[in-house]
Amino acid sequence: MCARDGRRVTIRRAGARVRRSTGDLGELAQYADLLRTLSAHRIRVRYKQSVLGLAWAIVQPVSMMLIFTLVFGRIARVTTDGVPYALFAFTGLLVWSFLSTSLNNATQALVSHAQLVTKVYFPREILPLSYVAAALFDLLVGSVVLVALLAWYGRPVTWQLLFAVPVIATTAMFATALAFMLSALQVWFRDIGLVVPLVVYLWMFCTPVAYPLSAVPERYMTAFQLNPMTGIIETFRDVILRPGAPLPALPIVSTLTAVVLLPIAYGVFKRAEATMADVV
Amino acid sequence: MVVDLRCDRVSKRYRVPGPRRFGSFVRALPNALAAPRHDFWALRDVSFDVTRGEAFGILGRNGAGKSTILKLLSGITAPTTGEITIRGRLAALIEIGSGFHPELTGRENSYLSGSILGLRRREITERLPSIAEFAGVEAFMDMPVKFYSSGMYVRLGFAIAVHLEPEVLLVDEVLAVGDAEFQARCLRRIEELKRRGVTMIFVSHDLGAVEQICDRAVLIERGTIAASGSAREVVTAYQRLTAGLEPIPTASEAVDDSALQITALTLLTAEGRATLTATVGQPLVAKLGLSAAAAYDDVEICLAFYDLERGTLLAECTSRRAGERLTVVPGETTIEFVIPQLLFAPGVYTVGATATPAQSARPLAWRFGRTTLYIEGNEPRRGNFLLPYHWHVSTTLSTLPS
Repeated sequence: MCARDGRRVTIRRAGARVRRSTGDLGELAQYADLLRTLSAHRIRVRYKQSVLGLAWAIVQPVSMMLIFTLVFGRIARVTTDGVPYALFAFTGLLVWSFLSTSLNNATQALVSHAQLVTKVYFPREILPLSYVAAALFDLLVGSVVLVALLAWYGRPVTWQLLFAVPVIATTAMFATALAFMLSALQVWFRDIGLVVPLVVYLWMFCTPVAYPLSAVPERYMTAFQLNPMTGIIETFRDVILRPGAPLPALPIVSTLTAVVLLPIAYGVFKRAEATMADVV
Repeated sequence: MVVDLRCDRVSKRYRVPGPRRFGSFVRALPNALAAPRHDFWALRDVSFDVTRGEAFGILGRNGAGKSTILKLLSGITAPTTGEITIRGRLAALIEIGSGFHPELTGRENSYLSGSILGLRRREITERLPSIAEFAGVEAFMDMPVKFYSSGMYVRLGFAIAVHLEPEVLLVDEVLAVGDAEFQARCLRRIEELKRRGVTMIFVSHDLGAVEQICDRAVLIERGTIAASGSAREVVTAYQRLTAGLEPIPTASEAVDDSALQITALTLLTAEGRATLTATVGQPLVAKLGLSAAAAYDDVEICLAFYDLERGTLLAECTSRRAGERLTVVPGETTIEFVIPQLLFAPGVYTVGATATPAQSARPLAWRFGRTTLYIEGNEPRRGNFLLPYHWHVSTTLSTLPS
């Protein structure tokens, strides 16, 4: 019978990766509904029984924008090439909040679901992925605020803003790759969960979020340009704040890092998946 | 014959880390190889094949390695050596309530848990009414599960798993979930799946259920296969292994040494189909296989019903009425006890039998602890029996006819 021949074959072999006739990605596709349900669940649970509800999605970037505007805009007086500082900071913070929310939450994804991980099988990458997806939703809500800010400051709101989509896609790939590695590492070393928020916080100050890249002294420039987030934030700003200007090419370092890192991180994750239930 | 599931020399080692103090990350890197560790082999060279449509039992005492096998089969963890091959969509019948989120409603949690078990949204939507009914929580589906009773929680979690449509099904100790009534319902569903030809791996402490449902079985002891064969042989091996630990240890010995043996005790529905479940008030047939080395001209066969807490509830025997005697000839004899109406309350009972020749002071053949009967009914009641009665308001003082 045809249907019988088409049945999946799964081979679990000696500590290594599980081989499926459908392949890892095929299996992930079969569980697409779980990823969707779980991501929606993250969003729903976060805002259930809270007074502010959905507004919490923008509390972080907006409050950071306010304090940055006070400290860097009014006190330290960072120059931003004629862009109002609040707007300048918010564009950077919107992308950064996505990265930091993704990483801080996704790192705990496997450990906080230890009960499930030891009880039932499903492709484990869905857990970190669902946190990245939920952070992406927050970014979407924040984008509405961004558009409102643009309008408020009398900036052009055109269809060219949609060029931000590939920039966000690159960021999402990069965040996913890191989320895979960090969540798997956290299973074996709980130190990761403690160190990630700190590193992400320090990393923000080494990325042109609160200040423009043009303000960085020449001797640090190479180091800054090797930081994949530098290119992402700068390009995102160009797309949002200078819609008339020629479109910037996606920064090579960021794109390359994301494209190379993601498959490697996925491979490492799937290898770790084989035995994580024994340890978690 | 298509092999749906194959375990090929599968071993699983767990590494139990030695005592570790703070600063694990820094310490773990240089010491990764030298750290004091203690290896524990949960499974060693376990091999078996399960063919399509077969029900395969795994027996073993606590800690023998049963759970490890299930974890390997379901893909929760990978074997250390060896290989497992599975053909078809595999699902585990486990209670998934631990995946529930307290703030979400029963409906929302059903979607969540259902998709964790591999169901698609559309499939869950279709089955939701049936899931709610199975769990008996129809009226509470839109209530956050934090307001559920623990029983409702567990039943809903399990009801979702019961509604999977797998090709290979792993069943782990289902009979430990919920009350007797719920267990009977679960068991009925398992029997139904088996009839539909689902390949099944069945792990349970309920020997009666294993013997009834499984075609073949293995006995796992200290991580290796200690016995394998037909479910009946392996159940016997298990009883021998646990002799001294089980409450009725002498039973199996008596069976082995006697010239008179009760070889089988099966419960049948009115239609003659073997069953583990029955409904209050329905008929039931208990079929006994008797094997004798010599002729016995007057043998009393007793069929006994037990309750796990209260012991023997009642025993009915062949020579209950004067003049009825059973003559056993050498060879095989089959005896059927026909019960026109089952008047037990819903619950879990075990059924046993004894055979006592007239010249013997005690039974020569026993059979206990291997046949389980799950009785379903609509209303819970106290006690074990149903009494046919009627009632009315009486106008006179004396109500008993003289």
